[in-house]
Amino acid sequence: MVNTAAKKKSRMSFGSYWERFGTLSILLLILIGFSIASPNYFLSVNNIKQIGMQSTIYTVLAFGEFFAILLAGIDLSVGSVAAFCGAVCAKLLLVNCPVWAAVLIGLLVGVALGAINGTLINLLQLHPFVVTLGTNTIFRGIVLVMCNGKPIFGLPLGFKSIALYVGGFPIPFLIVLVIAAILIWFTKYTIAARNMYALGGNKQAAWYSGINTKRFTLLAHILSSTLAGIAGIIMTARVGAAEPTAGDGYETYAIAACIIGGTSFFGGKGKPFGVLLGGILIGTIFNGLSILNVSSFYQKIALGALIIFALALEKVVGNISAKTQRD
Amino acid sequence: MEYLVQMHNMTMKFAGVVALDKVSFDLRPGEVHVLLGENGAGKSTLVKILSGINHPTEGEMFIGGTHFTHLTPAMSKDNKIAIIYQELSVIDELSIAENLHVGKLPTKRILGIPHVDYAKMNEHAKELMDKVGIRRSPGTLVQELSISEKQMVEIAKALAADARILIMDEPTSSLSVEETDNLFDIIRQLKADGIGIIYISHKLKEIKRIGDRVTVLKDGKYMGTRDVSDIEVEDLVPMMVGRQVQERFLRPTPPEAEPEVLFSVRNLTRRDRKARNISFDVYKGEILGLGGLIGAGRSEAMEGIFGVSPISEGEVYLHGRKLEITNPYSALKQGIAFVTENRRETGFFQNFEIWKNISVTTNLKKSRFGGFTGLTDEKQEREQATHYSEKLRTKCWGIDQMTVNLSGGNQQKVIVGKWLAVNSDVFIFDEPTKGIDVGAKSEIYQIMRDMVDEGKAVVMVSSDMTELLGVCDRIIVFSNGQITKTFMNEEATEEKILYAAVSAY
Repeated sequence: MVNTAAKKKSRMSFGSYWERFGTLSILLLILIGFSIASPNYFLSVNNIKQIGMQSTIYTVLAFGEFFAILLAGIDLSVGSVAAFCGAVCAKLLLVNCPVWAAVLIGLLVGVALGAINGTLINLLQLHPFVVTLGTNTIFRGIVLVMCNGKPIFGLPLGFKSIALYVGGFPIPFLIVLVIAAILIWFTKYTIAARNMYALGGNKQAAWYSGINTKRFTLLAHILSSTLAGIAGIIMTARVGAAEPTAGDGYETYAIAACIIGGTSFFGGKGKPFGVLLGGILIGTIFNGLSILNVSSFYQKIALGALIIFALALEKVVGNISAKTQRD
Repeated sequence: MEYLVQMHNMTMKFAGVVALDKVSFDLRPGEVHVLLGENGAGKSTLVKILSGINHPTEGEMFIGGTHFTHLTPAMSKDNKIAIIYQELSVIDELSIAENLHVGKLPTKRILGIPHVDYAKMNEHAKELMDKVGIRRSPGTLVQELSISEKQMVEIAKALAADARILIMDEPTSSLSVEETDNLFDIIRQLKADGIGIIYISHKLKEIKRIGDRVTVLKDGKYMGTRDVSDIEVEDLVPMMVGRQVQERFLRPTPPEAEPEVLFSVRNLTRRDRKARNISFDVYKGEILGLGGLIGAGRSEAMEGIFGVSPISEGEVYLHGRKLEITNPYSALKQGIAFVTENRRETGFFQNFEIWKNISVTTNLKKSRFGGFTGLTDEKQEREQATHYSEKLRTKCWGIDQMTVNLSGGNQQKVIVGKWLAVNSDVFIFDEPTKGIDVGAKSEIYQIMRDMVDEGKAVVMVSSDMTELLGVCDRIIVFSNGQITKTFMNEEATEEKILYAAVSAY
C-alpha cells in the first residue's frame, strides 16, 4: 500500500506543481516579456512602486470577489459598491466629518450593501449572477443620484494621504499585503473558512452535514462588498475625488484576477495568495502596456487577449500534466 | 454455436497497473450473461472495451464473426452494441420522441426547406415505446418521467439503433421491487427477439431470476463462467471475494425482556406530508430496519428527524430527553448522525481530501453560531482521520487522497467516519450499501453491529430485503408515508414485508 502511495505522489507532482506555481510562472513570463520590451524603465524601482500602486484596486476587489466565487457564485456588483462607498466617504468628508469616521462609515456601507446582496440571494433563491447583475445597476444609479452625476472634489489632504507613500512604499499596496496576510490566515486556519470551502464544493452535502448554508452565503457577500468598499475608498483617495463612474466594469478585472489566480468557477477551490498574484498580474499588464505607449483602447484588447491566453496556457499545461500522469 | 461476441485473453494495462488479465468472455444471441465481481474487479474495464472507450493492450475479439483488436465508439455503434449506464444519458429537456431520435430527426421538406417531421417521429417513437412498455404520450418531456421510465427510454433508444448487444450496468440499483419486475419482463422480451444482454450486477439474487450464464471477475482476473441453472448463487460469492462472506449480522443473544429505549420519535409529520404520524422507538442492542417501497416516506421521515426538511409536528427523544431540532446543525450538536442515500450529492465534498471530509462535523461541533467561530487544528484533524480510516479499514493511499477518487464502499466509510468522529449517539443509515460491493457491505454491517454494541442507536433504511432480513433485529415497514407494520426478525419474511409495504396504497 505504501508503494502505491509513493507512485501516486510522484505521478501527481507535475499537476500539483502547476496548480501551485502556474500563476507565478505566468506572472514571471509577463515580467520578462515587458523587461525585454522596455529594458531601461520597466524594472526600475519607481516603476515597481507604480505597479504596486496600480495593482491595488484590482487586487482588493478580487479578494472580495474570491469569496463570492468560492461559493460557486459570483459578485457582479463590486465596481458599483466601490463607487458607492467612495462617494459616501467623500460626501461625509465635505461636511467636515473626521477622516477615520468617514472611512469607517464608508466601510459599514459596504457591509450593508453586501448584506443586501446576500439577503436577496437567500430570500429569492436566485443565482448570485442575477441578483448582483441587478444590484450592480441599482447601486450605480444611486451613486449617480448622490453625486448628481458629477465628481465630488475638494477632499482633505489627510484623506488623500491614504494613497501616498510611507518610507518609499505605496501605502495602498501595504494595505493589500495586510489584507492578503489576514485572508491567508483566515482561509487556512478558521472553521468558518473551511465551511465556506465545503459549501462551495457541495452545497447539498454542506446542508446535510450541518453547515448553515444561507448564513455563509450572506457572509461571503458581506466580505465581498466590504473589500470592494476598501477598494473604493483607496480609489477615491488616490484620484482625490469620488467619481460617479469610478470602478465601472471593474468586476471584469476582479473576476479575471480570481480565475487567473486559480480560483475555480465551480466553487470550493482557490487561495487568496493566487488571487494576490492574479491582481498583480493585471496591474502589471496595464503598467507595461502604458510604458510601451499602447493607447488605453488597445490596452483593453490586449488585456482581454492576455486573460484568455493565461487561462488557455493553464489549460494546455494542465492537459499535458494529466497526460503525463496517465502514461 | 453462433456468438454475438467472443473475447479472448483480453488484457488491459493502465500506467503499468493490470486492470484486466487475460479475460475471456462471450455472448450468445437471446441470452442474459451476467458479469459479476466486486468494484474494481474489471467489469467496467471489460465493458468499456466493447463500447470502444478502452483499447486493450493484448487479446482479440470477434463481434458478429468479424475480427477486431480494438473498437472505437463509432465502430461499437456500427456493430450494434449499446450501453445503458447507471447514470442515464437521456436529455431531460427533450421529449421522449426527441430523445429517441437524437442525431437522426426525420425531416420533410416544406417549400424546399427541411423541417422536422413531428408526425413521423412521434409515430416511430410510439412503436418503440410500446415495445418497452412506456405508457405515455411521445411528446412528454423526459424530466417528467420516473427513473424507471427513463431507463426504458434508454432501452428504446438502443432498440432504435437496432442494437443486438445490449450492456446494462447495474440497471436495478435505483428501482423499486415493482419496477424491477417490469424491467425483467422487458429483458425477457428482448431475449426472445434474439438480443444478447450483458448484465452487470452486485445483486446475487437477480442472477437466478434473470441470468442464463454468469462470468465472475476478481481483481481483473477471470474466475470462471457458469450456467445459472447448474449453480446456487451462494457458490459464486467465494469466487468473487475469495473468502466466505458471512451472510447474517443479527445480534448474537436474544433481547432482554424490557430493553432500554435509546431513541424515540413521536407523531412526526412532515410539512409536505410525505411522511405522516411516524412514531417508533429504537432499543438498546438492536439494529432497527425501515422497510418499504421506494418513495414510501422512509428517507423523508429521516430527513424530518434530522432537520433537513421542515416538520409540522412531532417530537424526538434521546435517552428520554426531548431534543430541539430545527436544522441539521442542531441535530448534529445533539448527537444525531445521518448517513444519506446519495453519497455524491449529499454525503461528501468532492473538493476535499479524506481528512477534511471527516473533520467537517467535528469542526462544526466545536464551533458556535452554525459554524462561524473557532479555529481548525490540522494536526488533530489528521490524527482523527487516520484513526477512523484505520478503524473502519478504509482502503486508500493516505488521508490526503481525494474522497471522490475512492470506491463507493470506501467513500461510505469516510462518511461514517465523519459521524463517528463527533461521537454521535444515534446513527441513521439511508441505503448504506447502495452500489457497494459484497465485501464492503459486510464491513459496513459489522461497523453497524459494533456501534450497537457500544450502546448507540442504529436505524437503517433499506430497500434490499436480504439486507433487512440479514441485518436488522426488528423491521418497521412504511407504506405510502405511514408505518403499517412492525416485525421481529424471527417472524419476518419477504412476503410479509412486501405485503405490509403495499398495504396502504
